[in-house]
Amino acid sequence: MRNRFSVFNFFLLLLLMTIVSRLQLLVKTGSLLVSYLIFLVTDFTTAVNQFSFGLADCFASLLFLVIIPIVFYAKRKKLRGFKSFSFSSYAAAGIFYVFLFAPIITNSNYNFQKDLSITQLLPPLSSVNVLHLKSNTNDSGQLDKFLSLKKEVVKNSFDEGIVFVDSLRVTETGVDYFQNGLKNHLPLSAFQILEGKPKTSTKLFFLGSDELGRDIFARIIYGTRISISVGLCAVILSLLIGITLGFLAGLSGGIADLLLSRLNDMFLTFPVIFFIILVLAFFGNSFISVIVVLGFSGWMSLFRIVKGEVVSLKNKDYFITANQLGLSGARLLLKEALPVIATPVIVNTVFQFGNVVLSESALSFLGLGVGNEYPSWGAMINSGQEYLSQAWWMILFPGLAIVLTLITINDFGKKIAHYFNPRLHA
Amino acid sequence: MLLFIKRAATSVLILFLTVSFLFVLVRIAPGDPSQKYLSPNLSPQLIEKVKSSFQLDKPISKQYISFLENAFSGDLGISYKYHRPVSEVISEVLPFTFFFSLSAFTIQFVGGLLLAFWAFHHHKKLLDKFLSSGSIFLYAVPSFVSGVFLIYLFSVQLKLFPSSGVKTVGSLEENFFLLAFDYLHHLFLPVVVLALTGLPVYFKYFRESFEENQQKLYTVYLRANGVSEKRIYLRHIIPNSLNSIIAYAGVDLGILFSGALITEVVFSLPGMGRLAVNAILGRDYPLIVGCTLTAGLLVILTNLIADLIRMKIDKRLVKGLLN
Repeated sequence: MRNRFSVFNFFLLLLLMTIVSRLQLLVKTGSLLVSYLIFLVTDFTTAVNQFSFGLADCFASLLFLVIIPIVFYAKRKKLRGFKSFSFSSYAAAGIFYVFLFAPIITNSNYNFQKDLSITQLLPPLSSVNVLHLKSNTNDSGQLDKFLSLKKEVVKNSFDEGIVFVDSLRVTETGVDYFQNGLKNHLPLSAFQILEGKPKTSTKLFFLGSDELGRDIFARIIYGTRISISVGLCAVILSLLIGITLGFLAGLSGGIADLLLSRLNDMFLTFPVIFFIILVLAFFGNSFISVIVVLGFSGWMSLFRIVKGEVVSLKNKDYFITANQLGLSGARLLLKEALPVIATPVIVNTVFQFGNVVLSESALSFLGLGVGNEYPSWGAMINSGQEYLSQAWWMILFPGLAIVLTLITINDFGKKIAHYFNPRLHA
Repeated sequence: MLLFIKRAATSVLILFLTVSFLFVLVRIAPGDPSQKYLSPNLSPQLIEKVKSSFQLDKPISKQYISFLENAFSGDLGISYKYHRPVSEVISEVLPFTFFFSLSAFTIQFVGGLLLAFWAFHHHKKLLDKFLSSGSIFLYAVPSFVSGVFLIYLFSVQLKLFPSSGVKTVGSLEENFFLLAFDYLHHLFLPVVVLALTGLPVYFKYFRESFEENQQKLYTVYLRANGVSEKRIYLRHIIPNSLNSIIAYAGVDLGILFSGALITEVVFSLPGMGRLAVNAILGRDYPLIVGCTLTAGLLVILTNLIADLIRMKIDKRLVKGLLN
């Protein structure tokens, strides 16, 4: 029985749960996609004007939701070989799922702030009443329809159409609503009317809200994306640097080897964190600069491994032959060396990925991360420190997210090392 | 011995290059530290005077040469922020840093060794598994998470330990013991947090190397000859395990000496890490260079000590290390 439930089944189960619980949103996204495609054919300029990253994100999530089960079904025979039942593989599947489907999982924008007096520092599982104001657009034209649909699907960081209230009372003249003890009044005509009463709904803050009334759940979900994408980009960068330099040093030997090895020693022995902070503080911190600095400061271990492997490779007959045949350096690296050194490099890359994720959150904690416009786990913990006595949820959930991700990555690295070299941890 | 000196000289050369690189890097980076101390109301002559007092009006090469001349006579310049010699500012935080990192390091090393011993004694039993998975978990907990969590638990909820600083504000305690108690009381949580970051590494290392040495033939031989378990461990297995961990510990301790930045930030402690980062953020060029130099010297020193200890334990290394 246990053999039947692999990680891929788990992933499909997650997808199924998403489809069931978010059916309404998915249908809306689908119709939005259709109407956008119609625009793309009939009115190209409007389509380009309406394009945004959020829109593309939603479409991509929807498409992945359709494509992934198909791919799994088509490749089911191959996937059967991949059987792993450990906690970390399920967690990795979960992280991957969150990474891909963030816009579908969350129901509010990670930067959404409104009516601070009510929404700030809410404990987990608290819900707030929402009043819906009437918007003054008419739903006649095709573009207006598209826009109103887009507003429901793509969550903006602002929304003038809703008001968070503690309680409300409908009177003859209009609606009295209370916000943190303050009484406000609006005429009935200002609201969307549903069955003769103003339309109300509740918004659930699943993991509570922070000091600016932002939804912590949405921030953690999107924070996953930030951490994973910074980690991936930086690791790819240090992979490129490490392999190229290591190959150079190993192949040529002599003065290049000496210089690069000394540089490597320098990076290894001195606390690199100060170098990172210095560059970020002096040249400005942004999404790109964090990736570049973390990528450049993580090449040391890869350099060592690649250099060592290449030095031993250099004396192998087939490599000497390839070299004497006159293959160029790039071809030697790609065709002859890489397949041999792939195993230790992959294992090291996974651990390096964990290091980068940790460094990113530490930098964000120090206020030198990817910037305030993106939610980052480290930055969330930093802001939660000030409200430690009032709002434990501001640090607990991002902290758990970091720890869970790091455990998963480390365990995954160990699994891969074991897969390639089963005798290692016999 | 000559080779040993060569090795030390290489390290010093690397340090020299690092410091020079940093010296140039901070000066070619955008921004001007003297802006912070100037107001637009000052007369142009006065502005020039302030700039020249920072020595930033000269070309970088001249600044670098005068820096080298001063540095070799032990003068690292005057901190922009503190208006005092850099060496004085740094030597004020060093005692704290030494105490803080050494105590955390001792707990890491000895704790890791003892826990590994304990786990290995209950080989493959519940305790062993519990400690192993616990160490995997702890390894993934960053110090800012564990620090904030412990502050919440012990300072906010239980009110057992203070959450920041090294001593009670405004205390005029003359009694040595009460003063020492106050320091220890403040430093308990930070030391625990700092120790927890390295403990799993040492635990895992010792645990694995016990396992490895246990299966080696020399252990079997000793046991077959009836040597007591205690003697096998104390005289053979532990010294054999120590070898490469000490190399790691040398690097680790050096980095700890140069500042346990995150822990110092979480608990707002006056250590090397925060001094360096505040210097970076405040563009205090002489202090940045001074901190790097000090940190580099400490790293080299701990590495050398580690190498010496390793050579003392294992004579075979004398040749290998020096090449």
